[in-house]
Amino acid sequence: MSTLALLLTQFVNALSQAALLFFLGVGLTLIFGLMRIVNFAHGALYMLGAFVGYSLSSWSGNYWLALAGAPVLVGLFGAAFEFSILRRLYRRDAHAFLMVTFGLALVVGEAVRLIWGSDALQVPAPPLLSGVIFLLDEPFPVYRLFLAATGAVVAVAIWQFLERSRLGLLIRATSQNADMANALGVDIKLIRSCVFGIGCGLAALGGVLAAPLVTASNGMAATVIIDAFVIVIIGGMGSFLGSLIGALLIGFVQVFGNYYAPDFALAFMYLVMLAVLVVRPGGLLGKEA
Amino acid sequence: MRSATRLLIWIVVALALVLAPLGLPPFAMTLLTEAVILGLFAMSLDLMFGYTRLVSFGHAAAYGFGAYACGWMLLHTGMPLLFAVFAAGLLTGFIAIGVGWMCTLATGVSFSMLTLAFAQLLYAISFKWTSVTGGSDGLAGIPRTIGPFGFAALSSKIGFYYLALGCLVGGFLVCSALVRSPFGAVLRGIRENEGKTTALGYNTRLYKIAVVAVSYGLGGLAGALYAPFAGFANTELLFWLLSGQVLIMVIVGGAGTLIGPVLGAAFFMLMEHQLSALTEAWALYFGLIFIAFVLFAPEGIWGLATTRLRRAAPRP
Amino acid sequence: MPLLELDGVTRRYGALVALDQVAMKVEEGEVRAVIGPNGAGKTTLFNVITGTVKPSAGLIRFADQPIAGLPSHQICRLGISRTFQITALFPEMSARENARLAAQARHPRRWQPFGGARIFREAQSLADAALEQLGLTGVAERPAGLLSHGDQRLLEVAMAMAQQPRVLLLDEPTQGLSVEETAQAVDTLARFLQASRMTVLLVEHDMEVVFRLAHRITVLHRGAVIADGAPDQVKADPRVQDAYLGGFA
Repeated sequence: MSTLALLLTQFVNALSQAALLFFLGVGLTLIFGLMRIVNFAHGALYMLGAFVGYSLSSWSGNYWLALAGAPVLVGLFGAAFEFSILRRLYRRDAHAFLMVTFGLALVVGEAVRLIWGSDALQVPAPPLLSGVIFLLDEPFPVYRLFLAATGAVVAVAIWQFLERSRLGLLIRATSQNADMANALGVDIKLIRSCVFGIGCGLAALGGVLAAPLVTASNGMAATVIIDAFVIVIIGGMGSFLGSLIGALLIGFVQVFGNYYAPDFALAFMYLVMLAVLVVRPGGLLGKEA
Repeated sequence: MRSATRLLIWIVVALALVLAPLGLPPFAMTLLTEAVILGLFAMSLDLMFGYTRLVSFGHAAAYGFGAYACGWMLLHTGMPLLFAVFAAGLLTGFIAIGVGWMCTLATGVSFSMLTLAFAQLLYAISFKWTSVTGGSDGLAGIPRTIGPFGFAALSSKIGFYYLALGCLVGGFLVCSALVRSPFGAVLRGIRENEGKTTALGYNTRLYKIAVVAVSYGLGGLAGALYAPFAGFANTELLFWLLSGQVLIMVIVGGAGTLIGPVLGAAFFMLMEHQLSALTEAWALYFGLIFIAFVLFAPEGIWGLATTRLRRAAPRP
Repeated sequence: MPLLELDGVTRRYGALVALDQVAMKVEEGEVRAVIGPNGAGKTTLFNVITGTVKPSAGLIRFADQPIAGLPSHQICRLGISRTFQITALFPEMSARENARLAAQARHPRRWQPFGGARIFREAQSLADAALEQLGLTGVAERPAGLLSHGDQRLLEVAMAMAQQPRVLLLDEPTQGLSVEETAQAVDTLARFLQASRMTVLLVEHDMEVVFRLAHRITVLHRGAVIADGAPDQVKADPRVQDAYLGGFA
C-alpha cells in the first residue's frame, strides 16, 4: 500500500471518527451552554439511540427509517426528562444535576439491558452503503465515507440553525444571559426542554450511526461519555465551534494514534486534553479563564 | 440532655463497630470492612467537595493510585502490610501536590475536568504499563505481609478490619480537626466566596492545593487498604465510574458533614448488595433511588437524620 | 510623606484607556473621595491599587514601597484592605465569623497546623472590636446573608477594619441602599471615620455622602484626573461642573 493511499484512508477514517464524536460532543456542549449542566447520561442516550435504531431497522427492515426515527424518539425522551425532573432543580446546586443525570445513566443503561438483553446486536448498513470504494486503489468502506459526509452536513445544519433560525437565536440569547432573555419575554422553560431534547437526539443520532460500525452493545455508553467530555472540554464548554474542533482533534489523535502508537493512543487523548487545559483552562474557545 | 443523647449514640455506634467481629459471620465482616474502606474514601472527597466546593471528577485517581502503590510494594518489596498501607497513602498525597498545582490553574467546571483528565490519564497508563501494573489483568495475589518483628495480628481477617477501622477513625479525627481549624475556616471561605477570600489577603490557591493533597492522601490510604483487602488491584479502581460513584456517596450521605459520606458509602454498598441479591435489574432501582434522593432529600442521609436536632439547636 | 502615592498610572484594555497617567497622593489620616461619571475609571483605579488588575504603566508606592504588579494577596497583607461595589460576604457564616476570617488573614501564625483555638481567639478579638466600631455588635451572631443591606455594607467595612489596615478602600459603600438606609449607614461611617482617623480612599456616586465624609476630592474623567482639591474648591471648578456635577453645585 502506498504511503499516500494509507494517509488518505487514515485521513477519511479520522474524519468519520470525528463525525461520530461530534454528534456526542455538540449535544453535550449545547446543553451545557444553555443550562450549565454536565449531562452524565449522554453516553447512555447514545447507546439508547443505537438500540432504538436496531429495533426500528429490524422491525421495518429499513435503516433510513431507524436513522430518522431513533433521534426523534430519544430526543422526545430527553425533553420529557427535562420537563418532568430537571426542571425542578434549576434553583439548586449544580451537583443536583450531576447526581440526577448519573442516576438517569444507570436507569437507561439497565433498562436497555432488560429490554434488549446483554448480547451485542448487529445493525446492518443499508445496501447502498455497505460496499467498498477505492481511494487511490485502496478499498475503503463506503459507510465511513457516509459518516464523514453526514458529520459535515449536520455540522453545517446546526450552525445555520443557531445562526439563522428564530429558535437558534433564542438559544444563543438565553445561553448568554438567561435572566435578560427571560425579561425580554423568552419562554426559557420551553427553550430548555427543546435544547435538552435536541442534545439527546444528537447523541442518539451518533449512536444509530455508529451501530452498523461497532454493533449495539451494553458497554458502549461508558466509553463514549468520556470521549464526549474530552471533546467538549478541549473545545470549551458551551462552544459549538469548539466541539467541532475538539471532535476533529480527538478523531485524528485516536485514528492516527491507534495506527502509529497503539500503546499510547489512549494516553495521547488525555495528554492533549491536559495540555489544552493547562494553557487555556476554559478550553480552546471557552470563556472561562 | 441532647448532647447526652448524642454521646450515647456515639458510644453505641463505636461499641457496635469494635465488637462487630464477635457477632457477625465472616461474610458480613467482609462487607463491613469494605464499607469502612469506602467510607474513608468518601470522607476524603468530602474535604474537597463538601468543605471547599472543589468538585473532583477524578477521585478514583487517588484510590486507584493508592491501591496500585500499596499492591506493588507488598508484591515486590516484602514491606510489612502496615508500612505499605501508610507509605502508599503518603505517596498519593505527595504526588497530589503536583496534581493540585496543575488542577487549581482552573476553577469551576474546568477544575473538575482537569481532575477527570488526570484520573483518565492514570487509567490509560495502568492499562499499558504492564510491567508495573499488570495491564488489564491488574495486580493479583497481593499478600498481607506480616511484620514488623513478626507482628501478625493485622493480617488476619479480623485484624485487618481493625486496621481499616483505625484508619477511618484516624482519618475522621484528622479531617474534623482540619475543618474546625483556622485552615478549615479559610476553606469555608473559599466555598462560600472565593473572590472575597482572595481579597482578604489569602492565597487561596495554596489552600486549595493543600486540601487536594490531604484529600487525595486519605483517598490513597483508602485505596491502599483496598488492595490487600481484596488481594488485587485492577484498572477499574481508576475508572471514572468509581469517581462518579464516590461523588454520589458523598451527596447521598450529606456533603460537608464528614460522617454523612461514610453513611453514604455504607448505604451505597448495602443497596448494591441487597438489590443485586433481590433483582437482576438492581442498577435500575439504584438509579431511581438516586434521583429520588436529589428530588426529595437534598441534604442527604445525615441531613435527614439531623434536621430535627439542628432545627432545635442554635447555630454554632 | 504621602502614605499612598500614584504616579503616571495607566491601564489600557486594547484601544480603550481606562486609566490615563493618574497621579495622586493620599496623606496619612486623610479621607479622600474619588468621583467621576460612570466609566471614569474609579473601580479600575481600586483594582489597580489592590493588584487585582495590573497597571499597564506607572508607579504605585505604599508606605514608600513600590507595590505595582504584586499579587493582590500580598498587597492586602501590606495593609491595604478594600470593600466591593457589589456586596461580597460569606453569606452562610455569621457576621462574627466573617470578621474573624478577615482578621485571621493577617495573623502571623495562620498556617500553623496546631494551636488553632488561640489563633481563633486572637482573630476574634480584633473582629469583635471592628464590629463594635461599625455598630454591628447587636447583629454579630446572625448569618451575614440575612443581615439588612445597610448592615451588610457596614459588615464589609468592619471586615476590612478587622485586618487593621493602614489604608481602607471603600467602593461605593452606600451602593444599592435606600435613602433611609443610606442616611443611617453614612452616620455610622462618619462617626467611625472621625473616631478611628483611618486613611480612606472612597469611591462614591452620592455627592451628599462625598461632601459629608471626604476631606479632599479627586475627580476622574475618562480615566484622567481633571481636578484635585478640597471639596469646596472642586465643587467650584468649572471643568468638574462641566464633566460631572451638572447642576448639582
